Amino acid sequence: MNTIEVFYQGEQIGRVDHLEIPATAILADVKAVIVSKHHCADALLFLEDGEDAIDEQTPVGKIASATGLKLHVHRCRRIDVTVTFNNDTVERKFAPGTTVARVKRWAAEQKFKMTPEEAGEHVLQIVGTQERPAPSAHIGTLTSHPACRIAFDLVPNERVNGAADEGA
Amino acid sequence: MTPDARAFEADVKSAVFRLGETDGRWRLLRTTWPTAVIAVTARDGRQFVLRFDLTGFPDTPPTARPWDAEKDTPLPFDRWPRSRGGRLGAVFNPGWKSGSALYLPCDREAIAGHDNWRTEMPSKIWRPSLGITQYLELVHELLNSRDYAAPVGAAA
Repeated sequence: MNTIEVFYQGEQIGRVDHLEIPATAILADVKAVIVSKHHCADALLFLEDGEDAIDEQTPVGKIASATGLKLHVHRCRRIDVTVTFNNDTVERKFAPGTTVARVKRWAAEQKFKMTPEEAGEHVLQIVGTQERPAPSAHIGTLTSHPACRIAFDLVPNERVNGAADEGA
Repeated sequence: MTPDARAFEADVKSAVFRLGETDGRWRLLRTTWPTAVIAVTARDGRQFVLRFDLTGFPDTPPTARPWDAEKDTPLPFDRWPRSRGGRLGAVFNPGWKSGSALYLPCDREAIAGHDNWRTEMPSKIWRPSLGITQYLELVHELLNSRDYAAPVGAAA
């Protein structure tokens, strides 16, 4: 039987989890497996970087790519995101399956008008922490229902200096 | 199998490592304990191979150097990725320890003598709970940054 690899992130799931599902399955089948493992029956399913929750009657084979399917599982339909840079704060609602990379591009390039080169030298850091989520992380992994919000600072990605003078 | 070897075997079976392989960001080529050879994809599609020494994994940080996977020898410097003057050149620095390790805070060789990094760049310090993907994600980010340039020895 052909199977499809499903990688998913979500509220209180951790970094990434994985399952394999028959190619003939629908998303409700995927959700049933996830619910049995993570006890999250009231959560919604989202595609990675999708705008809205997806219809659970959708056939998995219809939306999977050649390498599989990336999903997000969360009780929040939207996450309130703020990004602060140089004392200027911008905000927007995103779906919880939105990647940190996409939020950074929106904030750095669209709102703070950085060039792609400048944006590449900055990263998102969770306010009040030293945590810098990986670009592939979904923002829903960083918050829970009912808060449904996350605040970032846009900070320079430090350069490691001094190697030329040592141990050569 | 030793505990560190078992820990690494479990790590490369994790969903987060497999997702990186599925996305084409990295690929485990072989493991000959205590070393593992892993290819990381750059923004132009080139794959740069790193040979990791994973002794004591994950409590002890790994160390890695660019590697020629076919000859099973250190990668000649003219085939190392180049920097356009930014962050990549500090990490891929043939002049540091004769190119025997990457100059990254999460590298075992690099962190030695750099306790200041623990407060200056805590997000890049090795965290055993994140496993080998922490190291790979930092390298992948550099190889896909706009600072990356193809090696001197690369065909035009």
